[in-house]
Amino acid sequence: MVAAENLRFSYTGSSPYVLDGINLFIKKGEYVSVIGENGCGKSTLMRLILGFLKPVSGKIESHAVRIGYVPQKNEFNNSGFPITVYEMLDSYRHLLKLSDKSIPAKSMEMVGMSRFSGSLMGELSGGQTQKILIARALIGEPDLLILDEPSTGVDIGSQKEIYGFLKKLNREKQVTIFSVEHNLEAAIANSTIIYHLVNGKGHLCFPQQYAEEYLRSNKII
Amino acid sequence: MLNYGFMQNAFFVSIFISILCPCIGIFLVLRRYSMIGDTLSHASLAGVALGLLTNQNPILGAFVFTSLCGALIEFLRTYFKKYTDLILTIVLALGVGTAITIISSGKLHANADSFLFGSVLTVTQFDMIMVVVLSAISVLTLIFFYHQMLYLAYDEEAAKIAGVRVKLINYIFSILVASAISVSIRIVGVLVLGSMIALPVATALQLRKGFRKTLIFSILFSVIDIMIGLFASFYLNVAPGGFTALVSVTVLVIVMLSRKIYLDSRNRREEKFTAIK
Repeated sequence: MVAAENLRFSYTGSSPYVLDGINLFIKKGEYVSVIGENGCGKSTLMRLILGFLKPVSGKIESHAVRIGYVPQKNEFNNSGFPITVYEMLDSYRHLLKLSDKSIPAKSMEMVGMSRFSGSLMGELSGGQTQKILIARALIGEPDLLILDEPSTGVDIGSQKEIYGFLKKLNREKQVTIFSVEHNLEAAIANSTIIYHLVNGKGHLCFPQQYAEEYLRSNKII
Repeated sequence: MLNYGFMQNAFFVSIFISILCPCIGIFLVLRRYSMIGDTLSHASLAGVALGLLTNQNPILGAFVFTSLCGALIEFLRTYFKKYTDLILTIVLALGVGTAITIISSGKLHANADSFLFGSVLTVTQFDMIMVVVLSAISVLTLIFFYHQMLYLAYDEEAAKIAGVRVKLINYIFSILVASAISVSIRIVGVLVLGSMIALPVATALQLRKGFRKTLIFSILFSVIDIMIGLFASFYLNVAPGGFTALVSVTVLVIVMLSRKIYLDSRNRREEKFTAIK
């Protein structure tokens, strides 16, 4: 679904590289959580997959037919914009040239937000905004869903709902998920695989394996 | 008052201005580009001067020159990514510099002053045809690209992922801004045109509605502002542009105060209700 080969990237176009020699292959149906410290290049890697950035060298390609993207809620700071939940979803449907007018209603229902159809986006809470952003990303039934820190600024109850929903989507509908995570607990509990980035280099590991590594390195066990 | 031929022409053009300006203005305001409207309206004076110098219709001259300036702004964006306000200074210098040079050369066979302040006396039959054609094309283009423009204003990244051709839409939008400015320049004048694009939208935003309703209210406030400005300026014998801008600010203040009073009284009612409970 996603393949990166000897990928190098820096914002200046030269050394030091934010990502230095990344090799990553994500199979269809995986739930990959990318973890690492602040500034290690998690979001940069995500933006390279989305095509917002171009690699300095190496290559990265996505074979997804349709990508759904859920931006980080804190960076999605457009709360003063006069747009209702319905307008936001319906316009996105138009952008994807989908003729089914019931799509916005179905998307809202899928994330349990039907009663907020007429609400302004700026009036929603953190968790509600995140659910609507997920609903939007699912319009057009994407085969790859990319999320940027889905639990940032979201209360615990909504976090549980969101991760439960993502897990179900991955396991039952085989939607490939690539999630940039700072929430280790959620990453370990929901992912099928973890991509750990350190100093611009990364390695894949299973969630259980990562949990053990983490506990050992922090001298918890 | 509408018995006068010149007032009929001015009234006719004003209807188109009051519809077109907020339709463009809402996207400018929401993309935080209000100052682009102001810059391009000032730059349009150069187009007017070039039109008059070459014995062409000044509105057509304004449309062509302003479109080029709009395209120049888009082009310069890639060079001055971190200093976007500098782009406006460059385009403003180019436009106003050209205008002042031509006007002060004494080679114009007509008076360009009326384009600075706006005038109801100078609307010609050909201007009216130009206004109808430009407005019709602009509104149809807006309807066609409505969702793309809405998403570019709201969430550019999502628009890119959905396949919107961002650069193309931005260039088309520049031409639409140029069109709205050219249509309005006769009546409103260069100096306050930017405010006519932004203020009705600013007023409608106070109502905290969705996008479609905000657009409808923007058009409504624009009609109110421009019609009061046009008729009052006739009786007061002042330039319509300046007075319309004053009306726009007044309407904005009235709506802001009304909203505050409404919210205060609602909060008081809710407090009373909670106390009784």
